[in-house]
Amino acid sequence: MSVLSWIEFEATEKRKGTVKLKGGYNVLLQGRPESTVRLMPEPSVLYLPLRSKRFAFSELSVKEGEYVNAGDILARDPDNFGVPLLAPRGGKVRLEKVPGHIVIEDAAKVQEHADMAEEELLHLEQEMGAGGIKRYKLVTLGAWEFFYDAYTGAVPDPLGTPQAIIVSIASLEPFVARGDAQLRNRLLNFTRGLEQLQSLLEYQPIYLVMPDVESEFVNLLRNHIRGYAWVKIVEIPLRYPHDHVAILARRLGLKRSNGPIWAVRTEGVLATDRALTLTKPCLIRIVSIGGIGVNSPAHLNVMPGYPIKMIKERYVFEPAARLINGGILTGEPLGAEALGLDTECRGLTVLPELEDREFLGFIRPGWDRSCYAGCFLSSLRVKFHERFTTGMRGEGRPCISCSFCEDVCPAGIMPHLIHKYLYRDLIEEVDMARVDLCVECGLCSFVCPSKIDLRQQFIDAKALIEQEKQELRKEQERQEKEREEQAATKSVEEKDA
Amino acid sequence: MKVLLKVFEAVRPTFEQGKLKAFKPLYEAMENFFFAPSTTTTTAPHVRDPLDVKRLMSMVIIALLPSIAASFYFFGLRMVAMIIVSYAAGGAVEVIFAIVRKENINEGFLVTGMLFPLILPPALPLWMVGLGVAFGVFVGKELFGGTGRNLFNPALVGRCFLSLAYPKTMSASWLEPSRDLAGRLLQYVDASSVDALSSATPLALAKQGEFASLSHQLFGSVSGSAGETSAIAIILGGVFLLLTRVANWRTVVGILGSFALLGGVLHYAHPEKVGPVLWHLCAGGLLFGAFFMATDPVSSPISNAGKWCYGIMIGCVTVLIRGFTGYVEGVTFAILLGNIFAPILDEMVIAVRIRRLRSEG
Repeated sequence: MSVLSWIEFEATEKRKGTVKLKGGYNVLLQGRPESTVRLMPEPSVLYLPLRSKRFAFSELSVKEGEYVNAGDILARDPDNFGVPLLAPRGGKVRLEKVPGHIVIEDAAKVQEHADMAEEELLHLEQEMGAGGIKRYKLVTLGAWEFFYDAYTGAVPDPLGTPQAIIVSIASLEPFVARGDAQLRNRLLNFTRGLEQLQSLLEYQPIYLVMPDVESEFVNLLRNHIRGYAWVKIVEIPLRYPHDHVAILARRLGLKRSNGPIWAVRTEGVLATDRALTLTKPCLIRIVSIGGIGVNSPAHLNVMPGYPIKMIKERYVFEPAARLINGGILTGEPLGAEALGLDTECRGLTVLPELEDREFLGFIRPGWDRSCYAGCFLSSLRVKFHERFTTGMRGEGRPCISCSFCEDVCPAGIMPHLIHKYLYRDLIEEVDMARVDLCVECGLCSFVCPSKIDLRQQFIDAKALIEQEKQELRKEQERQEKEREEQAATKSVEEKDA
Repeated sequence: MKVLLKVFEAVRPTFEQGKLKAFKPLYEAMENFFFAPSTTTTTAPHVRDPLDVKRLMSMVIIALLPSIAASFYFFGLRMVAMIIVSYAAGGAVEVIFAIVRKENINEGFLVTGMLFPLILPPALPLWMVGLGVAFGVFVGKELFGGTGRNLFNPALVGRCFLSLAYPKTMSASWLEPSRDLAGRLLQYVDASSVDALSSATPLALAKQGEFASLSHQLFGSVSGSAGETSAIAIILGGVFLLLTRVANWRTVVGILGSFALLGGVLHYAHPEKVGPVLWHLCAGGLLFGAFFMATDPVSSPISNAGKWCYGIMIGCVTVLIRGFTGYVEGVTFAILLGNIFAPILDEMVIAVRIRRLRSEG
């Protein structure tokens, strides 16, 4: 090893050891779910949405009126390595009853679909090898949908080998299901899942991200994985969104150019264990229900397709409330057309709609509202969970360069600068300012006193830049092809001559 | 309050589609002054921080209260008239531009209108107050596109204009502060009461080697711009601004730190030209400028490194102007100079940061 490369190696190791995190801010919303997991009554009908944030299950494998068993494949997403939509319960399939959904009627909790046929496995093993069959199982048994590419958030290629796997048990956004609730009584499964993950790798590390708390739970987990040399523990402060895998990948010095980085959360490790140790599909989800207007916020033991109405009837008492699929900072509002939980749902957050317009709100002392800059009297209080509504709480104004967005940005980019470039339509500069590093955490939009929707602007800008780059690539390919064709015809002509 | 809301709702159509359509910005400003806007979030994040620009600007007004109180105490009821004229004239320019541009009326003016009379000599004719603020808002802000897009601090542009256009009146409108216990709280003193007029501010006297007492400067019982005399009141408000993060501490520390350092060195080298540092820190408009003027987020650099450079530049230029030029006070020019350099400083810092970001991820 030359001196230079040794210095580089040392620097990289040093960087990996210390995780320096920037920005972040905790939005404290009332109605934090307890870590207890409640069983929900068995539904008789399941509404499985064919679309979720990453998936579009367009390749149907079942027919109208067909009876399926739990664990059967209902549809696949052809654009995402054929990730399947599994039937969480047995029953009669209805395809046309509700648009955009597969409905399972007369759902019954029967013995789930038998293990994969031994013959099929033997055949696959001969064809793909031990590593290949594991990956095949992960995809077919529904565990692969819990895997993310750390940088892009997309579904990674199951046949690829990552440079590292980041496992995060922290969920800091209010409110999505937390690792401590999902791991209750399942610590052994978790550690076994980690071992299974390791078996997919050669020598690459697994980074286990834990919140920086001296809680009994984290100590227990630490004891469990003591001796797993390939697991590197990364402790992070309990500040949103420091659990975001793209931020962690960057701070751990993992370069995108060195190959994919896989990321999984708690439920992903548990699903891996179930798929690879037991060869059983993962049909159950533990999701959270929290927010304002929720009776006893908690975690729920449900399955994809569980009727939202049943959850609402049982837990939500606020009549005019927005139901959000995910947390308040990044979740998507669930409209009336959404009947069941999608496969990627991690939690439901309830938020009351704005009803009253406050009289002279801006000059009130503000004991009941907390703000990032400390401009209300509540700064003198101990931190508290606030009663938010969907109100914008101010009028849209031009950027006043307060730089709060830059202070909270965990990605270390300059949101105000990108906004100003976008205002002037300077797309190239936006790209140079690295809008692609934005992790869409929503904090910049949250703190902006001018109420600029920075997050949405950046999402649109990223899509636009990506589209332009694709068009450029296509154009280059076309030109290259033309050149090749011209060269070919020229050589033919020369030959003829 | 529901009655008031109903009144607003009843007249809304007249301003939205009716005869008074042109005055929609004025109507909206009034409605949103009294009632929080009814807009809600449509995409994530679904909740927003309670801080808005109106509150942010109100914080500056709250921070100015000690200085306003001191100016009332020392210079009398005339301050009320000056503040009213300033708000009326500047507000008129703001409203006219909002109507012409068909944009909302921005709250930035709430601060400019209050800052402006506080940086003027207390006996200045009222028409000059009006003219100055109108010029400041028009040239310093509206020509650049309104709040958020201005290059210079509008209040300072207005003051600079008055200093250059009416130098005699500006230098002959200082008032001798009241030394009574009751102050001038019940008096209306203007340029007509000759006995109250003061010939020079402490900085002008210092050029002749006559230093006002430090305690008077701390308390504010010296001649000077209306809101700039009481160091204690300014520090009180300034610290409040820093604690609420409305003003950035880097700018303030940069200005005061560099001023003290360079002032200290120059006082040692040229004691006849540069007075003692502590005295100079409390004299003139330095503290007011450092806490309230230079920290204007729009006209100062946005990057932290830029803020440091900007602060240091203002501090150093102020010392140099005070000590080595014909002017007795240099804060206005120093901050305006800083405003000119702010975009360049930002540009440099941003270029370095973008270069660093290139290899990220």
